[in-house]
Amino acid sequence: MKTVERFDTTVSRRTILRASVYAGAGLTLFAPLGFRASARQDSFNIAFIQGVIGDNFYITMDCGARAKAEALGNITIDTQGPERFDQTLQTPILNAVVQSAPSAIMMAPNDRQGMIAPIQAAIDAGVPVLCVDTTIDSDIQLGDVATDNVQGGRLAGRGLADLIGGTGKVFVVNTIPGVSTTDQREQGFREAIESEFPEINYLGQEYDNDDANLAAQITAARLQSDPDLSGIFGTNLFSAQGAAAAVREQGLQGKVKIVGFDAGPTQVQDLRSEVVDILIAQHPGDIGEIAVQLLHDFLTTGEPLDPKDYVTGATIVTRDNIDDPEVARYLYVADCANYTLANAEPMPAASPVATPTA
Amino acid sequence: MTAANEAYDELVTEVLPAHERYLSRISKSFTLLILFAIIIVFALREGSSFFNARNFNDIIIDSSQLVVLSVGMTFVIIAAGIDLSVGSILVLSSVVAAQVTIALSGSPQDIAKFQFPTQSVGIPIGLLAGVATGLLCGMVNGLLITRLQVPAFIVTLGMLGIALGFGQLLSGGTSVPNVPPAIQSEIGLRELVAFDVGGQRVRITPPVVIAYGIAIVAALVLNRTRFGRYSYAIGSNAAAAMRAGINVKLHLVKIYTLSGLLAGVAGAMDLMRFGTASVGSHQADNLAAISATVIGGTSLFGGIGTIGGTVIGAFIPTVLRNGLVIARVQPFWQNVAIGAVLILAVYLDQRRRRAEERM
Amino acid sequence: MASSVESALQPVLEARGINKHFGPVQALKNVDLSVFPGEVVALIGDNGAGKSTLINVLTGVLPLESGEIVFAGEQVRFSSPHEARSHGIETVYQDLAVAPHLDAVANIFLGRERRQSGLPGIAGFLDNRRMRKETDEQLSRLKVRVPDLERRLVTLSGGQRQGVAVARAVMWASKVVIMDEPTAALGVAQTAKVLDLIRQVRDTGIPVIFISHNMPNVFQVADRIVVLRLGEVVTELDPKSATIEDAVAAMTGSTRFSNRGVG
Repeated sequence: MKTVERFDTTVSRRTILRASVYAGAGLTLFAPLGFRASARQDSFNIAFIQGVIGDNFYITMDCGARAKAEALGNITIDTQGPERFDQTLQTPILNAVVQSAPSAIMMAPNDRQGMIAPIQAAIDAGVPVLCVDTTIDSDIQLGDVATDNVQGGRLAGRGLADLIGGTGKVFVVNTIPGVSTTDQREQGFREAIESEFPEINYLGQEYDNDDANLAAQITAARLQSDPDLSGIFGTNLFSAQGAAAAVREQGLQGKVKIVGFDAGPTQVQDLRSEVVDILIAQHPGDIGEIAVQLLHDFLTTGEPLDPKDYVTGATIVTRDNIDDPEVARYLYVADCANYTLANAEPMPAASPVATPTA
Repeated sequence: MTAANEAYDELVTEVLPAHERYLSRISKSFTLLILFAIIIVFALREGSSFFNARNFNDIIIDSSQLVVLSVGMTFVIIAAGIDLSVGSILVLSSVVAAQVTIALSGSPQDIAKFQFPTQSVGIPIGLLAGVATGLLCGMVNGLLITRLQVPAFIVTLGMLGIALGFGQLLSGGTSVPNVPPAIQSEIGLRELVAFDVGGQRVRITPPVVIAYGIAIVAALVLNRTRFGRYSYAIGSNAAAAMRAGINVKLHLVKIYTLSGLLAGVAGAMDLMRFGTASVGSHQADNLAAISATVIGGTSLFGGIGTIGGTVIGAFIPTVLRNGLVIARVQPFWQNVAIGAVLILAVYLDQRRRRAEERM
Repeated sequence: MASSVESALQPVLEARGINKHFGPVQALKNVDLSVFPGEVVALIGDNGAGKSTLINVLTGVLPLESGEIVFAGEQVRFSSPHEARSHGIETVYQDLAVAPHLDAVANIFLGRERRQSGLPGIAGFLDNRRMRKETDEQLSRLKVRVPDLERRLVTLSGGQRQGVAVARAVMWASKVVIMDEPTAALGVAQTAKVLDLIRQVRDTGIPVIFISHNMPNVFQVADRIVVLRLGEVVTELDPKSATIEDAVAAMTGSTRFSNRGVG
């Protein structure tokens, strides 16, 4: 039997060895760079799964959680999250977090329906789950902590009414229909305007599919049909930016007032540079603090939360008050060095936070 | 020509038996080695938090869609093509599947009351409609590429926008609500086989069977059939294939149709796993599938690749991320690690291949 | 080695009055070429003389403009290389036209794969064992040595790759083998093997037309030398009586062989 020449055997064996050494060494090097949990017996470890990483809203929430954890003394926080608001990315992360055996999980689910099964699996594996910011169409979770978006919308309505002098026409640029948070903001806005400011004419809302360009087109069209428009409420970042761009293009900056939502660095810059006139800041830090407080209570006493749903407030931010410490504290941060503990008290929700999407 | 080269001209006609040939190919594969290295490192660091049946079970289930997309991508890249539209086709297919399912599962009044009297008809047809949508999109890709002679990169980039746009138009830009929950409870999450390993429940669900069944069939087709042979030939030298009488254009249409079909299957899998069609997701699936395919040893220039390699290539970033999350490494470092492993895996593979080749 | 030029056999391939333009440029002018069974015809000429163009017209790569081609007694008009192949004409192209990432077996059977019998065959399953066996027989018959039939062609030497390309053409050709610059990139030993192959093919009765710039090779193996210059057939030489200088002079247009008939 002739032997077939395997001419590469000696070379590849050496390279195989080298490669595995490199790979093993390299990977082991990465691990110390992460946050490691302290001893898991006498303290609690809470895993925080953000809705998306790199977002100032969730970063602020993370800072709140960590500040409260430090204040309580026996809690550590580990933070993970998907790169995009995508349940197919969040599910494997949730599964892996469950494997790391935290005492509890606080998370912002990426889909009301799709995340129910993975969360149920986490609960079945013995890890309680608290929903923050967004929620699921279910009641299997320990509880919910979220912004009262209706209240946020009301504040937007009152703030805008104030700016335009209590009279005039207003209009809402909304993002995607069916998203509960932004729908609730419009709802609060409408309620405030219609019940508290009879002199103001509410023209209605239109959707821009979370696209700033479309928001600009919608606003420009509206300015054509209603040249005496006084104010616009953009329910999220792109809506407000698009509306502001259209207003500026028509040279109506300052004449048409604009209210935006959220107070991250981009929005704050828009406020300072007079692109928008009011921001409604959520309190993500409060959400983080309250979530950790609730979980701490549950983990130490073992008693389920009652009530289960909690809301946090919102703050009107204007160019006049933005430097007031009481207002500035609610601006979203990019790192926790600038965060101060708020010691917010858990406020039970008046009505269930989780509303079914029917 | 040197004496060494003359020596190579020894007539040797011995052919290795099939299993030895396969083993020899695997032992040369650095990809498998890297996967083992990753598993071993995490098993040592995290112990049973990582190295347990349930965790591996989760990994296998969570990567099922990526495997399906990557199998299609393997055929495309072996034939020296590229398909950037797979994520969008997946989304469109899942939207179509969801809406057809809802439409056929009951009257609008029933649906409003969250009842689905005819779902046993609606669900299967809906899922098939999703798969058919993928097939159609893939066929359009193939026809545009071959008839208009526009590069595949551009055509599939355009289809990325078109399919996604149609998906958003059909769904109004939001996730599709009111999908019968049975699609998840009875199909997507159904435990076809479940057994206990070391006190943990391991379950085989339909997405697993679909994904790995497809992988096995694809490996057979690629290695043993004319369709597979032609894919390699066209990727290796399309002009030579044409001169040999192969209908290159027709074959390319088939390949892109296959890629679209598998994206449609992945879309159906998405619907059955999550019970909803979410339009905002899957934006980077195309790059994930390309990464998996390339890590697995497929050459972007065509002519080289295997399904087995692709499956391993799909596992590497998945297992890596899983291990890093369990090890509580900050998310941003995870991306650095995965990017580094991608480059390392491809570099080692290319080096080995270049060592064998001669001009 | 026997030249059948003087025999009364019918030509296998006969081209009469071939013309070809590329835009305003006339690449071929009134070219006649006949090829008889069992002979090796060398087609020589300087760059741009029209050698490759003529071959491409004969094998259907380029469409026939004017003139006629008679193949085995029948007038033909090939619209694709595929058609030419189905008539038994096989070509070894200058760039070999092999798929470098496939192995010898796959390349030899490219486009003509053997399928398994029955249902698997209908589904497209290949009969790899049979193809390997046939490749093995063919290569050993031609004394082409490939270290491993399973290795990708890109891992073989240039000469071995050439051997596979030639073996492919020879295996499937039933009427004519055409080769474009078959020894261009080869060393001494490989060249000798290719020339041997050409002789072997000729000895089976199948004629070989080959294009070459390499005068020594041409004179070693050809039975007849056709010289092209600027798209026209200048002359035909008998390698037994003519010399390399004659060939070069004809190619470059020295007065002895000028078409204007001076001298």
